[in-house]
Parts: sequence; structure tokens; C-alpha cells
Amino acid sequence: MGCFFSKKSRRKSPVKEPGQTAPKQYSWDKREKVDPKDFMLTGVKDATVGRLPGKLNGQQFVIQDCENCNIFVFDHSATVTIDDCVNCRIVLGPVKGSVFFRDCKDIKCVVACQQFRTRDCKKMDVFLCCATQPIIESSTSMKFGCFQYYYPDLAFHFKDAGLSIFNNNWSNIHDFTPVSGETNWSLLPEDAAVLEYVPLPDSESEFKSVRISTEVNRSIVPMTKGGRRKESEESCLFVFFAGDYTTANARKLIDETTAKGYTLIQTKEVSMRPEDVNRVFQNNKTIFVPTGPVVALELNGDGVVEACRSIANEIFNGTKVFVSENKSSASRDVDNFFNFADMQMGL
Amino acid sequence: MGLLSILRKLKSTPDQEVRILLLGLDNGGKTTLLKQLASEDISHITPTQGFNIKSVQSQGFKLNVWDIGGQRKIRPYWRNYFENTDLLIYVIDSADRKRFEETGQELAELLDEEKLSGVPVLIFANKQDLLTAAPASEIAEGLNLHTIRDRVWQIQSCSALTGEGVQDGMNWVCKSVNAKRK
Repeated sequence: MGCFFSKKSRRKSPVKEPGQTAPKQYSWDKREKVDPKDFMLTGVKDATVGRLPGKLNGQQFVIQDCENCNIFVFDHSATVTIDDCVNCRIVLGPVKGSVFFRDCKDIKCVVACQQFRTRDCKKMDVFLCCATQPIIESSTSMKFGCFQYYYPDLAFHFKDAGLSIFNNNWSNIHDFTPVSGETNWSLLPEDAAVLEYVPLPDSESEFKSVRISTEVNRSIVPMTKGGRRKESEESCLFVFFAGDYTTANARKLIDETTAKGYTLIQTKEVSMRPEDVNRVFQNNKTIFVPTGPVVALELNGDGVVEACRSIANEIFNGTKVFVSENKSSASRDVDNFFNFADMQMGL
Repeated sequence: MGLLSILRKLKSTPDQEVRILLLGLDNGGKTTLLKQLASEDISHITPTQGFNIKSVQSQGFKLNVWDIGGQRKIRPYWRNYFENTDLLIYVIDSADRKRFEETGQELAELLDEEKLSGVPVLIFANKQDLLTAAPASEIAEGLNLHTIRDRVWQIQSCSALTGEGVQDGMNWVCKSVNAKRK
């Protein structure tokens, strides 16, 4: 028993021995061959490089041995590995699978992905949107903040990569090599300005046509407080059941509450079956049958429950929503919902 | 009839249960493969911190598959799971050329393990859907698989994400288990 192709055969098609069926052909045997170099950045120094929208189109991307570069990948990809890079500033458009940094140092980046992994890295500042719990291994001085970025195609790229802007576990990192008495990771200052870490592309570069914004209220991914200390003991759960405008509605709610001085702690987009709805919202007469994923938000601040309830009445009248009834039930609502969501999204 | 005797009758005979160990470097696609085998949703998988187990029915066998986390730091714990393994599935990220040497080394060490001696091994050359994926033949050569003499082995190219090639690998698994049982 052995592998299908012998070294001696240089023919493109598999060798057919008498009495033996030809080896099975898979889609990767039949697809058009591309030059892997088009999907790699290797050994670049002191330059602004990357990919414009449409240039990657969901393919794998490899970055290695770069130094003092500004790297902009303004497209969605399958998976990205970054090896042996030093002193680089990197923006990675939505990645369907994993982003894996190995042996990198002095990196400042903006990343959106399904999984975030590092090994043997040092001094990294990461503005992150990650669908699952980020992990680090043998890495030190790692700092994390909430993803904050906009360019015109970014929302589409999130969809193409199958990532939800509402599923962002940026602040709770798992460290495979914790050191007692020290922490290998921490959070970036809450008011950290992305541009001070990852500047805009050089105005003479190929990226000058990309209209970027790093303003908080323009970010495709809503800014969440995550694991940072909450300002108030009062939170409110607000849930939008599926409809055509769920995302737009959620954003509207965020804008309205932010304007009133409330903060967004966390969000989740998750599928719920009717029996889940009954179980999670027990003490409420909610009888909505979900027709798609629901979007849930935890808002925080003194008086937030009352504020949310009037917003629901004034702006979302007729929309299928759930809003916490009072401060004490709100605390239960938040726990029930996000525990449920974590269970759904774990294995 | 006592409950215990009913349970004994319902329980599948020990012969039909197969213990499979699923190993490989971190980020190789082990958990995706596990979920694919169980026909579950693979769009939201988190890096494995400990291990995952699933029981999957396949061609009359009950496969108990143990998917163990592959980070460098926790590979020393792999040996805790060796005992009574009927078959080893080793998953390789065919598109991560930077780590071919590392994965080759880990596989070689596994094949040297006393507690895994003679255990059939299926090597999945995974992530064939990715552009820079090396073909199974190249991986087989790089890993010197042809020098394996002490057990049956097979290399199978696949994409755990799309499922392509996975069933072909599992067909070999069931064939090998059958052969060993005779």
C-alpha cells in the first residue's frame, strides 16, 4: 500500500497499470493550476504591499520574512499564516478560517477571522474581530483591542468569509503557556486610536484608491467593551429576531444608545429554535418563532433598561424584539442568553 | 428481566467498537475532520484546548474518535491517550509547508511509541482545497512513509472542510480494522 503517484512518473495523468483502476481524481487534481507566488508575500522590506479588493477572492494567503512593511490585504481569504515577520503593520480583511502568526516580533495589526492563533511571538498589538476564543502559545507582550476598521467592500468581505460582525471574542484570550506571576497578554487602552498603530497606506501606493476609515462609529464591527470593567451595575438585553433588517436595526440601536451615553458590552448572532426561545426567555411572553439567526446585544449604564424600552417603543414598534423588563431580570436575561450562545457555539 | 441484562443485550458487542486517536499539529484540521465525520456544522470551530470525543457509526462499526489538542505545549499529553488505540489518524495541513518538518518529526515519534506499536495509521493530507497544498505524493515522499514496515498505513488527500476524500479515508479505516480483527 502506498501513495498514488510514483516519483518516476512525470506524466500529468496517473499511470494505469494492467488490472489496476486509475487512481481517483479529486477536485484539486482537476482544477486549473495557479502560481502559488501570487498568493504569497515573501522577503519584502521597507515597503507598502498587499492586495486590493478582488485580488485574493477567498484564496489562501501566506506572508513570510517581511521586515518594516505596511501590509494591506483588502480582500477576504481562506486562511492566512504569517511567519518570521518583524516590525510590520498589517491589515487582514476577513479570513474564513484561521490566522496564525509564528515567530513574529513588533507587529501592529487589524485582523478579522474565525480563529486567531500565535506561537513564539513577541510584542504584538492586535485590533481583533475573532469568532472563537483567540489563543496564544509561547508569546509575550501581546495586547488586544476591539476591531475598528472600515473600507467600502469590508461588509461584503465579512459575508464572503462567513463571519458575523456580531460574533467577536476579542478580549478573552486563552494562553497555552501561562507564566505564574506574569501575564503574557493584556488589553490595549480603551481609547487606543488605530491610526497610531496601523497608519493609512502611503498616498502614492496602489492602495490610495481605497477609502479607509478608522473612526469608531464607522467601524463595520461594533465597538464592544468585552472583558473590560463595566461602568454600571445595570445592563439590558436587547434581542432582534430575524427579519430583513436585523443588522441595520442592531446598528441603529447601537447608535441611539451610544448617543445617550450607554455602552455596548457584547453582541452575539446565533440561531435559535423555538424551544430555545422558550427556554432562554422563560419569564417572558415571547412567542416569536425565529426564521433565522437572532442578534443579541448587552447594553450597559444607569437607566439603560428604561432607555431601551422606550427606544423599542418609539423606533422598533412592529419589529420582533425582546427587551429586558427591569434591572434585576435583565441581569438574568444577559446570563441566560450569553450562556446559551456560548453553548451553541462551543463544540 | 433486570435492567442490567437488558442493557447487556442492547450494547453492541465489544468487537464492533473501534477506538480511534486523532492527532496532528495544531491548526491541522483535526476538529473539523471530527465534526465532518459526525455530519455536524463546521462553520464555527474553536481551537481545541483539551480534547473532543465523538462516537460515529460507520459501516457497521462504532468509531469512538478522540480528537486531542495539538499545540506544542500539550503534545506531551498525547501519551495519556495511547492505551487501547485501535487505529491512529494523523492529520497534516498540506498547505503549511513551513511546518512539514515539524509534523514529520511528531509523526516519526508517534510511530516509535511502544504503546502504539503495530497500530494502523491513516495519514490525511488535509486542506487540499487550499492553493499551496502539496499533493499527497509529495507529502508521502517528504515523510518517508515508504519506510514504514511495522504496520499497515495509508495516505489520503482530503479537505475536511468540504468533506471530499474523507469517506475514502474512512473506508480504508474500516477495511483495516476488519483485517486486524480476523
